[in-house]
Amino acid sequence: MKSMQFENTDLADALNVLRQDEAHIEAPPHVEAAVLAAWDRAHARRREERPRSMWRESAAVAAAIIIALGLGQLGRELQRTTRAAVTPAAESRTLLLVGEPILQGEPVRVVRMRVPASTLTGLGVRSATGDAAAHVDVDVIVGEDGIARAIRVGM
Amino acid sequence: MEDATSAAADDPDDADLMRRAAHGDRDAFAALYRRHQARVYRFARLMTGSSTAAEDIVQEVFLVVMRDAARYDPARAALTSYLYGVARHQTRRRRARDRQFVAFDGRRPDSSEPVADDDASATLERRQTLQQLRRAILSLPRRYREVVVLCDLQGVSYSDAATAMGCAIGTVRSRLHRARHLLTQKMGRTAPSHEDHPGLTERCA
Repeated sequence: MKSMQFENTDLADALNVLRQDEAHIEAPPHVEAAVLAAWDRAHARRREERPRSMWRESAAVAAAIIIALGLGQLGRELQRTTRAAVTPAAESRTLLLVGEPILQGEPVRVVRMRVPASTLTGLGVRSATGDAAAHVDVDVIVGEDGIARAIRVGM
Repeated sequence: MEDATSAAADDPDDADLMRRAAHGDRDAFAALYRRHQARVYRFARLMTGSSTAAEDIVQEVFLVVMRDAARYDPARAALTSYLYGVARHQTRRRRARDRQFVAFDGRRPDSSEPVADDDASATLERRQTLQQLRRAILSLPRRYREVVVLCDLQGVSYSDAATAMGCAIGTVRSRLHRARHLLTQKMGRTAPSHEDHPGLTERCA
């Protein structure tokens, strides 16, 4: 091999020849067969999975309804029990909202607690007794997610 | 220019076939394959220098089409640009996997090709030039090889090449200019002299 002049026009000609040479080349037939076989496999699998997944979805929906009904029933029972067991503080004067507002119809629990009056002072409520060391009863209203929504202070 | 295999007026267009394929229409998918497999195969073959690699890449490209047909948006790119983009990505992946491509594997149907020119030396010269050009193209850096294969050998417009390569048209132009310059240099270095082939010398004399 020796060096010789190769011009741009030669390159254009050579590229043109190569283009013509390549023009009739196609993927062999077995590639098409493989691609279409992959299509058939994928769609056969989807057809098999569809009834199974529909059954699964139906079962999940049914389970969710049963659980929701059960929880609703349990919530109502708890509310009834709590109402019966915990009588509200005789003189409820202050309601402190400490979290998200209570939604209408949201099942809540009321938990009676005895806390130092100083705790209420920290929340901006002055104890009627004025004695920071004294203890006062409060009702903590807890939402169904277990987070306190409000504190009712009975003075 | 693009292949004459592009859709005829009464054929469903690519976007329609893609929509139907996305809804599980096997015939639409098969029509898409038959319409576009050749250009994807040629691109992959010229990029890799291997028919085997090109076959694998064609399969991978159409598996991607099968999986993502619903996500194809004809407003963003013509299907050919989209397919070249996927093929380009698959070629890179293949390269990363194989690290090194094998040379052209001699599965060219040259021997069965009708030879128009009776002059054996002319045929030999043509074959040698093509072989040298293929080697020269394969030896180009990938970004230059892509643009030569797309624009000079596949007849893709600068605009569609830019879409497939994810770059500006100006970048396509400058890369193509640089690629042709590199190819001219490479071909000049490797071009056979007439002394190496007495037949050619005689013919030229």
